[in-house]
Amino acid sequence: MSQGLAGYIIRRLFWAVPVILSVSILVFLLVRLAPIDPIDSLLGLRYDEEMAERLKAKYGYDRPLHIQYLKYVQNLFQGDLGVSTRHSDFSVAEVVIPKVRVSAGMGVMAIALAFGLGIPVGVYAALMRGTPIDPLTIGSWLLIDSIPVFVSAIWVPWFLALKLGWIHLAYEGVLHPNILVPVLLMSLPGVAGVARLMRASVIQVISEDYVRTARAKGLREHTVVITHVVRNALLPMITVIGLSLPGIFTGSLFIELIFGIPGIAAEALAAVRAPDYDVMLGLSLFIFVLFILANIAIDIAYGFIDPRVRVGAAKGG
Amino acid sequence: MSNRTLAIMMGAVALLIVAVAVVFILVLSGGDDDDSSSVPAGTSEASSGPEDSGNRSEDRNNASPSVSGICAENRIIVPGDSPATVFDPIQVGDASTAEYTAEIFGGLVSLDLDLNIVPDIAEDWEVSDGGRVYTFFLRDDVVFHNGRRVTADDVKYSFERAADPANFSPTVLDYLGDIVGVRDKFNGVADQVSGVEVIDEYTLRIELDRPVSYFLHQLTYTVAYVVDREQIEQDPDGWTRNPNGTGPFRLKVWRPLEEIILIPNDRYHLGPPKLDEVKFSLGGGSLLTRFENDEIHVAGVPGIELAGVLTGESPLSEFYRPVPQLSIFYIGMNVNEPPFDDPLVRQAFALASNREAINEVLFYDALIVADGILPPTLPGYSADVTSYGYDPDRAGELLSRSRYAGNMPRIILTYSGTAGDSPDRLQALQQQWEDALGVEVEIEAIEWSAYLRELRRGTFQMYAAGWIADYPDPENFLGKLFASDSRLNHTGYSNEQVDALLEQAATLQDQDARYRLYHKAEQIIVDDAPIIPTFWTIGHYLVRDCVQNWPDVGTIVPKYRYIEIDASRE
Repeated sequence: MSQGLAGYIIRRLFWAVPVILSVSILVFLLVRLAPIDPIDSLLGLRYDEEMAERLKAKYGYDRPLHIQYLKYVQNLFQGDLGVSTRHSDFSVAEVVIPKVRVSAGMGVMAIALAFGLGIPVGVYAALMRGTPIDPLTIGSWLLIDSIPVFVSAIWVPWFLALKLGWIHLAYEGVLHPNILVPVLLMSLPGVAGVARLMRASVIQVISEDYVRTARAKGLREHTVVITHVVRNALLPMITVIGLSLPGIFTGSLFIELIFGIPGIAAEALAAVRAPDYDVMLGLSLFIFVLFILANIAIDIAYGFIDPRVRVGAAKGG
Repeated sequence: MSNRTLAIMMGAVALLIVAVAVVFILVLSGGDDDDSSSVPAGTSEASSGPEDSGNRSEDRNNASPSVSGICAENRIIVPGDSPATVFDPIQVGDASTAEYTAEIFGGLVSLDLDLNIVPDIAEDWEVSDGGRVYTFFLRDDVVFHNGRRVTADDVKYSFERAADPANFSPTVLDYLGDIVGVRDKFNGVADQVSGVEVIDEYTLRIELDRPVSYFLHQLTYTVAYVVDREQIEQDPDGWTRNPNGTGPFRLKVWRPLEEIILIPNDRYHLGPPKLDEVKFSLGGGSLLTRFENDEIHVAGVPGIELAGVLTGESPLSEFYRPVPQLSIFYIGMNVNEPPFDDPLVRQAFALASNREAINEVLFYDALIVADGILPPTLPGYSADVTSYGYDPDRAGELLSRSRYAGNMPRIILTYSGTAGDSPDRLQALQQQWEDALGVEVEIEAIEWSAYLRELRRGTFQMYAAGWIADYPDPENFLGKLFASDSRLNHTGYSNEQVDALLEQAATLQDQDARYRLYHKAEQIIVDDAPIIPTFWTIGHYLVRDCVQNWPDVGTIVPKYRYIEIDASRE
């Protein structure tokens, strides 16, 4: 069984390579053929033909497109993502990695918070099914979640910082308490979704035979709920968590811009505006690879849960 | 469901959780590898807290006593932008990096807060050969931050390094290109900058291709700063992380994306700074909220909040400080394209523009109507120069006398932007022109890098533009934008008389006589109207009362060494 699973993972990873390569060609062409020129923005008003030629030669933009692409791929295999023209020759890794750290740190906290709030809310609503509390709970969370981030991100910090004086708005790093408000605002729009899924899952599990058996054994109600109902109802949440993993790394543009957090989304926007070829390319590939890996991870998780997926794959399906 | 399946499932969940945890730890472990203490969140015992802002601060103090006392310590916290380049003076091209670099490094000469040229590393200089040769006499007490003495060789090395083609300095030709040999070395024709010559340990001679009366101004730009050869040769890749300059401040902490902390250079030759620390906070939320929340000493007011602050409605109005900038907005007209090849049309458009109304209605008088080209705070400004005032009747009359009366071609005004909705001020001008002249001007947006490219190529018929001074001298506006042979002359304007005046002024040593020539040229240009000067800009700042000597200076100069924190003033 473990051999089959390993083979399955290897096959999946193997197929990811041509997909990633073709995507890289597509992204490369989209970036390079766009009617924007980094040399124009670099030199600005002080543009000078000779200087432009020298810069083009420096960055290799003077060569034919396919040569540039092959060179890019060659460097890619050596772990070199190129240089940022906007950040005056810092390598793409130097520019991007610190920002990925920031966005990922926030993303992990936001997802933890969304699930941490959503799961108990969902369980509670399910247990209260048939009473007005159920629609009231879910409804009030839906209301909170329907406030757009760009609205809440302006009013909430104003209220907390100036009216209550509870928080500071300086950015002091991802591990500093100041990050909590942006993280909270980032996670809130996910809570209702998680809660509704969890509610549905609990309601389904609660009518299973083994729950009735557990109750018939005379277990106390909270033991039944925690060990039998909630545990089993959590399983479908794996997929949801898995699907939200790549989103961790892509950051939230509104939150980053409004709170002045130096994350990856703000950098991506600046890279497109500059333009900054290698950063655009690097970011696109990075996010794409994440999605592929997340999909594989979800498939593997399903493989654990449902052996039929694995068997089907082994048969060449 | 069997126990075994259940165990596998729980295992999968645990695996995912562990995976997330591992990612989390990996992600965060690299982020904070320093041990510098977190910001003291305002220990409120030191002072009684802000008292001057009435009920508002009282409320705040009641709610949370921990957010007062930003003035208790002898340091200033200001918002800053992440540097776009490393702290290498010859690579700096943007304003934010230039601000830090100007505090850490220094050059032969510097600018004071009134934008006059003052001695820095050179204590004196002589100009000879009709303004073509500068001899600098260096101070003998200038040291780098590490204590090493600065000599003429260090200055020579810094110029050689700036011109080295391997270093690709984006600014060296613009600021130092008049020095004999800089161009040749940069283009790989020579290996030495022959125009920079060390006479003795503390004497340096610089020879120019032609007399350039604004040469000292060019030397105040970062590309002319002195760097430490020993440090650069020892650590060619990493030296900019811990730059060893001669400036009033040393770089203590640079946490990319978070903060830059400067501490005083106690051996600074022009007098050490009075602050213990300058902290630039690089990220963070709304500046106004943070200012009001006692997190920062100084904040720029964003345009959208300006109305409230200017009208006095905002409680922050009492901290407001307008700082006129060395910059101008204008509408450029291509003098080689119909209909603007007829001066009467250009003058008619200038007369039909009601700039006062736009300033009042759209900007709450937050700008200054540009009655000329040179901004009022620029050394060499003249109040005698006047631009065309709003006179719709005369505008119509001029237009009717022009070559294009009755057969006006299509006119397109281009600006740089991405939104579909053009700026209010352009829409207002469009309306005014239509009202006064009956001419419908179309407005088009174009993306920034394409805008620059087309501007350079001179393809725009009419365009909205701005200019910010590189150095505070009239030449930087008039010579750069209007001399026939300047590559920054995008209107195609060419006037022999103006060229002759500019040429003469560029080589004259007597400042007052120079300025008079510039005023004459300026008035001719404004009358010919290749551009409609619209507004001089003002920087809008909030400054806490305890910040003493905050200079209202509209360009980048080393300024933090003058500033003091007076806790009794808060």
